[in-house]
Amino acid sequence: MSDPVPSTQPQLELRQVTKRFGGVAAVDGVTFEVAKGDIVGIIGPNGAGKTTLLNCISGLHRLNGGDIRWQGASISGMAPHRIAKLGIGRTFQIVRPFGSMSVRENAAIGALFGSADARRRPKEAFEIADEVLALVGLAAKAGHPVSALTIPDRKRLEVARAVATRPHLLLLDEVMAGLNNVEIDEALEMVRAVHATGVTVLLIEHVMRVIIGICRRAIVLDFGQVLAQGEPDVVLRDERVIQAYLGERYAKRLKP
Amino acid sequence: MLLILGVIVAGYALLAPLTSLDAAQSAGAPLLADRLWFHIATFIAMFVVMATAWNIIGGITGYAAFGNVAFFGIGAYTTGMLIAKAKWPFLAALPVAPVVSTAFATLVGLPLLRLRGHYFAVASLGVGVAVGELVQNVEYGGQPVFGGASGLFLPIYAVDNRGLFFFYLMVLAAALSIAVTWWVLRSRFGYGLIAIRENEEAAAVIGVNTTAYKVAAFALAAALTGLAGGIFSQWNVFINQDNAFPIEYNVQMILMALLGGTGTVFGPAAGAVLLQLLIQFLGGSLPVSAEIPFVSDTARPIVAQVILGVLLVTVVIFVPRGVIDFFGGRTRLSMSYLRRSLRETSL
Amino acid sequence: MGDFVQLVILGLLAGGVYVAVGIGFGLVWGVLNIVNLAHGALVIIGGYLTWQLFTTLHLDPFLTLPVDAVALFVFGYALQRGVINRIIRAPLLFTFLLTFGLNLIAVNVLLLIFGSDFRSVTPSYSGQGFEFGTVVIPYVPLISLGVAIALSAALAFVLNRTRIGLAINAIAADRDAAQLVGIDLRHAYAVTYGLGAACAGVAGGLIAMIQAITPTAGEPYTLQAFVVVILGGLGRVSATVVGGLAFGLVEAFGQSIPGSGSVFANAIAFGLMVVVLVTRPQGLMGRLR
Repeated sequence: MSDPVPSTQPQLELRQVTKRFGGVAAVDGVTFEVAKGDIVGIIGPNGAGKTTLLNCISGLHRLNGGDIRWQGASISGMAPHRIAKLGIGRTFQIVRPFGSMSVRENAAIGALFGSADARRRPKEAFEIADEVLALVGLAAKAGHPVSALTIPDRKRLEVARAVATRPHLLLLDEVMAGLNNVEIDEALEMVRAVHATGVTVLLIEHVMRVIIGICRRAIVLDFGQVLAQGEPDVVLRDERVIQAYLGERYAKRLKP
Repeated sequence: MLLILGVIVAGYALLAPLTSLDAAQSAGAPLLADRLWFHIATFIAMFVVMATAWNIIGGITGYAAFGNVAFFGIGAYTTGMLIAKAKWPFLAALPVAPVVSTAFATLVGLPLLRLRGHYFAVASLGVGVAVGELVQNVEYGGQPVFGGASGLFLPIYAVDNRGLFFFYLMVLAAALSIAVTWWVLRSRFGYGLIAIRENEEAAAVIGVNTTAYKVAAFALAAALTGLAGGIFSQWNVFINQDNAFPIEYNVQMILMALLGGTGTVFGPAAGAVLLQLLIQFLGGSLPVSAEIPFVSDTARPIVAQVILGVLLVTVVIFVPRGVIDFFGGRTRLSMSYLRRSLRETSL
Repeated sequence: MGDFVQLVILGLLAGGVYVAVGIGFGLVWGVLNIVNLAHGALVIIGGYLTWQLFTTLHLDPFLTLPVDAVALFVFGYALQRGVINRIIRAPLLFTFLLTFGLNLIAVNVLLLIFGSDFRSVTPSYSGQGFEFGTVVIPYVPLISLGVAIALSAALAFVLNRTRIGLAINAIAADRDAAQLVGIDLRHAYAVTYGLGAACAGVAGGLIAMIQAITPTAGEPYTLQAFVVVILGGLGRVSATVVGGLAFGLVEAFGQSIPGSGSVFANAIAFGLMVVVLVTRPQGLMGRLR
């Protein structure tokens, strides 16, 4: 099955989104668009406001300014569960599985709730759970308790649960963090597989290989602001981006 | 093994009272056909309701409410007032108790459930205490509305074999609580509650309406607890702040759920039976209560409390997951288990 | 006008006791994350100690306060180190239940030792006070307020200027980091609880002079300590001082409401607490955690 082509109408729009904590603007006037079916990466040095941005989109933070639009309608200020119902799913950087449930139940609960396309009764939810676990490669461990999983597997479970909510847009927060090279390749496959089912993906990553590997577009954040956006290899050679990551001296050194 | 044991005990407890007093006594089982036993058993059943109900909000949802006795008292006074002042028949007044308790829980729950951890526990405790005080003392035109300090007296319910009637009624309420818990644990609602307990933010982003679910769990617990209170008011014929809003019930419900195993269907019920029997045994009100050596009769209830306290402390330290873990066969009560749980929780 | 002033004075004086009751409770809650349901028992043990010393040795009750502090500190230290530390990493519910059990034991042991008769401590100057026209400032509550303020200052000094105090602050900020820099958690935790118990003991001594005590008389103080700490704000001694004084004022004015004002004391206290929790959870002076 070929990659779905992104359409022209923006599915997700951020306009001048601002979030302050105390006096500090963690996210400051961020504006960009994500088209349906696209796969976009958000990169930036630590503390650039990437996770805060995801929290704003998924409704865990209230905006101090700006607007977020989903399929044309504003979703700023909506409760997180309603945003989930609209079809926006997410994973957390530090995974948050439901510890007392099994792997299968964790996946199923996504299908029990989730977007309007999900919301099944328990029996069907478990069938969907099995599908999703197969998609992320956890089918063999379905009956295991969560505590028995390795870190990469927990990340898979986190993705599985989010996918089970049948999202139209999936927000992934540093899924690759802490994985070795082999595990990253496997995770890349998993993200590709998820994307192939028609889900728009917006992911935060530090690992450049991932950004260049699967993202069609990259957005660079620094100090809460958009520094650059465009195709990954173009963006990564942008002087301002290099400066943000490595500092002024290195940027000068790397100048051709 | 547990199942068989449980069925036998339950069967005996439930069916034996139906035998006549004479038959039971001649068969050598005086305990069960005895009026005192009915009283104790009804009391135990009442706690089964309360502990199981608390478990819904405290054990399954993870919001440890410390003031659920408020719902018990509200239920008791609702039914009590309807019977005593408005002259309603008991069976009509009883269903109103859970309704009023639920309404109150919804009203109070909306602001309260926004709080977490300690703050929620303390606030719910505060509500529990305040409601008791208010109900006892509020006056209108110089007269106490709810009977004041002298309490509320209800007419005795005219039915044959009253002890038996209220015993089975309370057991019915207990069965209802357990059935509700069983349903919750396998429903979408229950999964949502567990998700809230395990990680509220994650639950929200996968689409659980956390506010609505929490309030619903709270209201459900209130309804069942209120039902127990309603039955209590007519059964006891007299209610006042001391017996309708006893602060120690709050802790007892929680302890029972903890002892038996929170988050399970039968755990709180098992805990309720065990703990209440223990309290009664130590207090000397069971026919088989033993003599505590070196202790005078007047000192006995005090010593009983000390023993209870020591037991409580010991259990909390050594058995954090509850006894049902043992009976269910999942773990065995051994030194290594005790040592392990100690290591998990101590510094 | 004189009535209003009198109420304010009575409120502040009563607040002194609440401050003393609250600071120990707040310390244990803020640092150890333990809501100590046995706090009232610790208070009343202090009360009985003062009574015993007053009755058998005829010591001025204010002189017994340091004894209360030391004795309760040792007791609290041992209790924390030996018992409470065992479940300190368990969920919050467990500490509630454990301290409840300890309370049960303590109160009933006191009942066995002292019986349920009411005891009071009445030095020669109790009942007398300064008089300014229609306004009366009774001696004992006035000195008690002074003691309470001094106690708070002493506690704040220990927490901010001594090594162990800084260690306690470090633990409150970040327990794991504190361990990494070599702080002995078990000892520091026990000291914290000991300090809390010491403050409770002093509060008990003050209370014995103001009211008649019986083993169960400590219970309401546990609940009131909650309100004081929440009202003022968890986290700093000064915040609890404000909370205690504020609570004293609320109580004084609440009791003066015509009708059954005094009967609603508990209801007012808890109503206030719930309102604060819902509207301004960090209290009058606290910072939002």
